[in-house]
Amino acid sequence: MAESSGVTLNENVPVFEYTDVSSKEFHIGAFRDLWLNALNLDVYSYSDTSPEIRDVQLIEEMGIEPETLEELKNMCSVESLRSEHEDTDTVPADPQLSTLKLRKRRQEYKESLTRDHIDRHEAYANELEMICVGKKPEDLGDLVPEGELILTFNVLYPVLFQRFKHVRAYQTLNVLGSQKLTELKDAICCVSDLQVFGEFSNNPDTVPQFISKDHYKSAFFFFNGTFYNDTRFPECRDISATTIDWAKTRDFTEFETAKMEDTCFHDLKMKVGFPYYYTHQGDCEHVVILTDIRLVHQDDCLDKKLYPLITHKHRVVTRKCSVCHTYISRWVTTNDALAPTDPCLFCEQCFRLFHYDDKLNKVGDFLAYAYVDPGTFN
Amino acid sequence: MDNFRGPLKSDCEELLGRFQATESVRFERFSAIWKSTNFSSIFYGKPDPKERRHFARLALSVVSPYFHPPYTFQIRVGGLYLLYGLFHTQLCTPKEKIRIALKDWKDVMQFQRDAENAQHHDVVYIFKKLMSDKAFLFTAMPTMLFFRMKREDGKGKKICEEFVDPPTRTQELVTTDMLEELANVHEHYENLKKAVFTDSDPNVNLIEQCLVSKLNNAVIAYSSWQDNHTVKAEQLDAGEGPSNQDSSRRAQLLASIKSRSYGHVMEASKARRHRQLQLVLSTDGDHTPNTSSKKKRPPSLKKRTQLRFKIQGTEREKLTNATRLWNLSKVKEDKVTEKKKQFKWTPKPESDVT
Repeated sequence: MAESSGVTLNENVPVFEYTDVSSKEFHIGAFRDLWLNALNLDVYSYSDTSPEIRDVQLIEEMGIEPETLEELKNMCSVESLRSEHEDTDTVPADPQLSTLKLRKRRQEYKESLTRDHIDRHEAYANELEMICVGKKPEDLGDLVPEGELILTFNVLYPVLFQRFKHVRAYQTLNVLGSQKLTELKDAICCVSDLQVFGEFSNNPDTVPQFISKDHYKSAFFFFNGTFYNDTRFPECRDISATTIDWAKTRDFTEFETAKMEDTCFHDLKMKVGFPYYYTHQGDCEHVVILTDIRLVHQDDCLDKKLYPLITHKHRVVTRKCSVCHTYISRWVTTNDALAPTDPCLFCEQCFRLFHYDDKLNKVGDFLAYAYVDPGTFN
Repeated sequence: MDNFRGPLKSDCEELLGRFQATESVRFERFSAIWKSTNFSSIFYGKPDPKERRHFARLALSVVSPYFHPPYTFQIRVGGLYLLYGLFHTQLCTPKEKIRIALKDWKDVMQFQRDAENAQHHDVVYIFKKLMSDKAFLFTAMPTMLFFRMKREDGKGKKICEEFVDPPTRTQELVTTDMLEELANVHEHYENLKKAVFTDSDPNVNLIEQCLVSKLNNAVIAYSSWQDNHTVKAEQLDAGEGPSNQDSSRRAQLLASIKSRSYGHVMEASKARRHRQLQLVLSTDGDHTPNTSSKKKRPPSLKKRTQLRFKIQGTEREKLTNATRLWNLSKVKEDKVTEKKKQFKWTPKPESDVT
């Protein structure tokens, strides 16, 4: 049946704007309603219908006899597709499928390499997945309701060094459609939130305990021409105001502002796969891409308290002390006549031993800052 | 991992091609082909659970397009069976799901209705079983989008022409509704003309009088030509006509003459002996674009000197392997000199000979 070209899809059905790159804009709440209208409740509910009820339903819907149903079950069972080869860890000898040939070559190549060390971080990364998959909450009030949307965001790390801009490190967060933007904002881990300001070469013992996250709380999201500002705390300033004023002087459309804590994801109009923007600490900018929106499934993590959920985090190599190469560095010095490089990293003990004599006087001339390693989130 | 996409696609197309050849939509036929190729082994060989999950996701995303238009009904049924098989034979728990986008849902429902009307009970049963096994994820877009602006070489997106119905664009354009409307407009126009001009002025007749019927006939003629054309093409493939035999004989004759002429290399004069032409036999006749595009540079002076000295004797070899005082005490052992080779995802033709 050929559809005449006059029929257009509802504007909230997501279609590709650029194939395989990004979609057109659509309203998320309306999209959810469209799906829920199209499906029966039992299709996306968490409970499974018992086999007997299912059989009765099938007989009714398909209009067939119970014997036919039994025959169908036998013919179409999954067992008819399984093979006799039970060892699933190795590629079968003499593979016919080209995928298996490629995999065999790859495995042979991997075995020919010599691995020096086993990554303990890999083990932890798998643990991260294991704790949240299929988790049901103890308190049923925390159960994610059926028909809820799950949005997946990729938050890319900011590019600090031009040399490393070809590696797009990112972390992946899953949020529920009913959550507010502020919850996503709180869940993003960025190392610049932990920085401590001040020069402490003269008083290394009095490093203050506050971090930038507590001090500079302003942040905004930029989605589709609207700046969503965080206005929860009195210290938060509207840092998008400068951009908006600048845009007014140029030839841009008028940008709007809104509150982050009042907007939940259902109210937004977004494009899937399109890069958006998140800024905090005044100038730490992250690109945020909405990669996927889908209805919640039985096998997902069903505990509302665990969302926003981090599903993938890019591991950054921790920088060790330049002296001992053993401990993680806590101090960075510049203008240091004693250090081999400028700037140079030291761990706590090496820093003290190197730069201060027995009477805790400063040796040499240098500037010291507290250093937070980017790998702290590993 | 994306490198597996090509082989996966070719495996699936082979399976679907064989299914298409059976000209049936029964699941038994499909499972026979599946078992003969041992397709469930496609998941074997990856002990790492993360990689397994990634591969399962890739496999399901490669097969998903075959379940949606513009493929023919039989291919779509094959795609459904493939998805069913892959979903149940995958090795990860919890299972990776099949993604369906909202824009494709209508087509899926239409497909189910068609199958029900045609009483294809196994198709309907399998689809309903997948639904009740909660095998589907209802998403916004068919795949996850990462804003990949990198242009790929388009190989992954090619639609296999045999799986698609022949294009019926003319029929889609000139439908009965359209013809009706056209007839109405034509009638109005004629009446208007009669009302304005009392006597029919020949200068006003700018269009065909029986436009609608002629258009209809043209479209019908085209569609019948199309059907005949496809039938004829199949007949030609089946057997060689007499004209083909003649042309092949002539081609063979030409080929033999050419090979004799190129097989003979003139011996160069003594002055040019160092630039003697050598006959390079082409191994399989087809030149890969890589090798033919590389320009063969003449060997450098150093290389030529080495070659000359090597030909003249092994004296040079002894000289080159002169005693190295600092190497005297070195223990003679077989050094593994090969560098760590990079894994080639697409093998060169000579290395793929198995």
